[in-house]
Amino acid sequence: MTPRDKAPWSLLTVFVALALVIGACQAQPSGGPTATQAADQPDPNGELVTNLGSEPDTIDPHKASFVGEISVIMSVFEGLMTLDPKTLKPVPGVAAKDPEVSSDAKTWKFTLRDGVKYSDGNPVTAKDFERGFLRTCDPKTAGEYSFVLYVIVGCEKWNNMDVKKATPAELDAAKKAVGIKVPDDKTIQFDLTEPAAYFGSIAYMWVGMPVQASSLEKGGDKWTEPATYIGNGPFKLTEWKHNEKMVFERNDGYWRGAAKLKKWTRVMINEGAVAFAAYRNNELDVFGAGAEDLRTVEADNELKGQLKDVPGSCTFYIGFNTRKAPFDDVNSRLAMAKAFDRDAFIKDVQKIGAPANGGFIPPGFPGYDKDDPAQKFDAAGAKAALAKSKYSGKPEMQNIKFTYSSNARTKTRVEWLQQQWKANVGVDVVPDPVDSTAYTQLVKKPETLPLMFILGWCADFPDQQNWLTTVFHSTSLSRTGWKNDTFDKTVKAADQETNKEKRDAQYLEASKLLSSEAPSAWLYYNAGKTLMKPWVKGVTTTAIDAALGQFRMYEIYVTKKG
Amino acid sequence: MLRYVIRRMLLLIPTLFFVALIVFALAHAAPGSPFDKNENRPLPQATIDRLNRLYGIDKPIHEQFVLYLGNAIRFDFGSSLVKDRTVAEIIGQEFPISAQLGVQALLLALAVSLPLGVISALKQNTGVDYASLLFATIGTTIPSFVLGIVAIYVFALNLRLVPIVGWGTPKHMILPTIILALPAMAYLTRITRASMLEVIRQDYVRTARSKGLSEQVVIVTHALKNAMIPVATIVGPATAGLITGAFFIETIFSVPGMGRDFVRSINSRDYPLIMGVYLLYAFLIAVANLTVDIVYGFLDPRIRMAK
Repeated sequence: MTPRDKAPWSLLTVFVALALVIGACQAQPSGGPTATQAADQPDPNGELVTNLGSEPDTIDPHKASFVGEISVIMSVFEGLMTLDPKTLKPVPGVAAKDPEVSSDAKTWKFTLRDGVKYSDGNPVTAKDFERGFLRTCDPKTAGEYSFVLYVIVGCEKWNNMDVKKATPAELDAAKKAVGIKVPDDKTIQFDLTEPAAYFGSIAYMWVGMPVQASSLEKGGDKWTEPATYIGNGPFKLTEWKHNEKMVFERNDGYWRGAAKLKKWTRVMINEGAVAFAAYRNNELDVFGAGAEDLRTVEADNELKGQLKDVPGSCTFYIGFNTRKAPFDDVNSRLAMAKAFDRDAFIKDVQKIGAPANGGFIPPGFPGYDKDDPAQKFDAAGAKAALAKSKYSGKPEMQNIKFTYSSNARTKTRVEWLQQQWKANVGVDVVPDPVDSTAYTQLVKKPETLPLMFILGWCADFPDQQNWLTTVFHSTSLSRTGWKNDTFDKTVKAADQETNKEKRDAQYLEASKLLSSEAPSAWLYYNAGKTLMKPWVKGVTTTAIDAALGQFRMYEIYVTKKG
Repeated sequence: MLRYVIRRMLLLIPTLFFVALIVFALAHAAPGSPFDKNENRPLPQATIDRLNRLYGIDKPIHEQFVLYLGNAIRFDFGSSLVKDRTVAEIIGQEFPISAQLGVQALLLALAVSLPLGVISALKQNTGVDYASLLFATIGTTIPSFVLGIVAIYVFALNLRLVPIVGWGTPKHMILPTIILALPAMAYLTRITRASMLEVIRQDYVRTARSKGLSEQVVIVTHALKNAMIPVATIVGPATAGLITGAFFIETIFSVPGMGRDFVRSINSRDYPLIMGVYLLYAFLIAVANLTVDIVYGFLDPRIRMAK
């Protein structure tokens, strides 16, 4: 999934500081609940108010791709599988039990739980799931995320058909060829193009949410408005004032039992400084702090006590063009990767986030390799690696162009790295800012790939396959042009391995190989700092949350605000 | 007069045509696509091709333009490429909100600036005049996003007079209305003052005074009416700007209006929405200018005769 950028100007933050100075001269708000007897008891009429940021472009589960959109979908719908918030491994959601997987891991059969209903009381059937998965594959659904389901037989072919040229019969035949079967109301079976041991994780995703035929028929293009946006999750959408707010109320018929919150309002405040003011004014119960807010928080004991770390789902990295000198030599890459202090980077530059001192996969995710030493900051090791490079002392190793998408924050990052490389390994790097659209195009094609660049990857679903295979296998995204047969073979074997321990071991091996081959230097794992009012309780956050406490949303409650 | 108005109305058609042509060409000339915005997550080319085909943006640009015009004439402005809604729905919902805020701000600006400008002119180089100069300088030089944030911190967070979150009640509208009105207020004060200073030195004002008319009549019916011509010239287009929404004000005060669409639609390369908001803006500017021209005639009959 894709996080949204913050508001496009940063000058504002300067003036926020000014406003804060003015604010500091005034009386501090006397926020915080007064002690009540039932301090820890859930308020049966409790309402939570959070900020959604900008208005979601779509909340259609079969089209969505951005965090804000997914957070809405995950409140209203529940898939066949869900995730265990501790391990992020898939566990049964609407499915009654773990899926039955054929010995070749190409056929997956899910049986639905009895008594699961939509918020309008209708039963959830296997047909509804089939309808959902098919909508994602349907070329007429203008979805950007359909490629996640290309592992299902026939989905890719149908999805890429030209709806204007193909005859209805051809389209229909392609639809029928999609490998989803529904033998009865309780059973759905998927035929996959390859043995995909990770399919259980895909089955939690929004792309496979069930939808009733009546919702689509009645709502048409507008079925995502509250009247027809009917799901089977812990909340139902009861009001949507565009660009202003969305109101969710608990779904009393939710199969796990009604959520503890009565109401969850998500307002749309685009500007972080304003949302922060709203939080301090007790108009928001939760606020995701930005780096620029930390000084204010640190200076205020009450706010400081409300600050919580939340893990993120992305890793940012410096990519090397491994097809070109000097980075076609692994030693040149390792020299760069070992030559900057990631802890100092977080402290001096990034402020919020975690140093990427492990492998590519970030903390909190299956496959996180905490003790990966390959790229550890080590100036002597970096110099030694440089000495081994065939470009050592050659002009290729000097004045290396470092291309990045021009904005103030990335500029600071790049300049900091430039200094580190100069100081620790004596390599001169030339920052090369380009406009963001141009940058997207440059890093996309092998012919235009810059020598060095910054990219990030955020998980779609928590499985090593989505990190290692999707990003670094030579036939998938392969942003750096790196090709390593051992790596390719190892991840492919793991993708298909049904023995969980064996699979994890294979991925770990691949992850270590990746770090030591260093087609990219891991820079930082994103993370968040969230302010939460003391009356908000029962929140279990995970590294892949799009919504607050996404996988235990029904357990969140508020106590009386006093 | 009626013929003049009709002729000017007809002239709107070629004007809007050329605006549409230019905006369309510029929007499509900007690099990038509505479906390929994320450097970290490139979509498969097949997906981009499919979406382009689905929305018809794979066709040659002139064909797309003709198609767009054909639909626009039938008041079909298409669907947003990034949002699940039609352009007509988006604008239909957002424009009234921006318009209400804009009209409030405009009325406030006029109510303050006209008297203040006139008084400053009449009491030139006195304390009142300097105070109004100071106010006007602050109003024009401090950007609205600074004033907006400061206002929120002071009036909402510290004094707790108004809420920050939400929209719709008068309490929510006070701050954005004032902040939106300020620059216009300051500017109009200066224009009114300058224009008034020029008019009260004119011969006919002296004549009016020498006829023995009371100062009030001289100022209100003789001087002020003529002094309003430059003011009207500015108020027209400013109205169009105010009622279509202001990016910073709407962002800071979380106003669900259309001002933000002017920037967002371009950033997201949402071609139909770009066309929709800019055509509406052009249309309103043209109507405002026409209104101003008609008002001239009432303010000064000589202008009417010349036409």
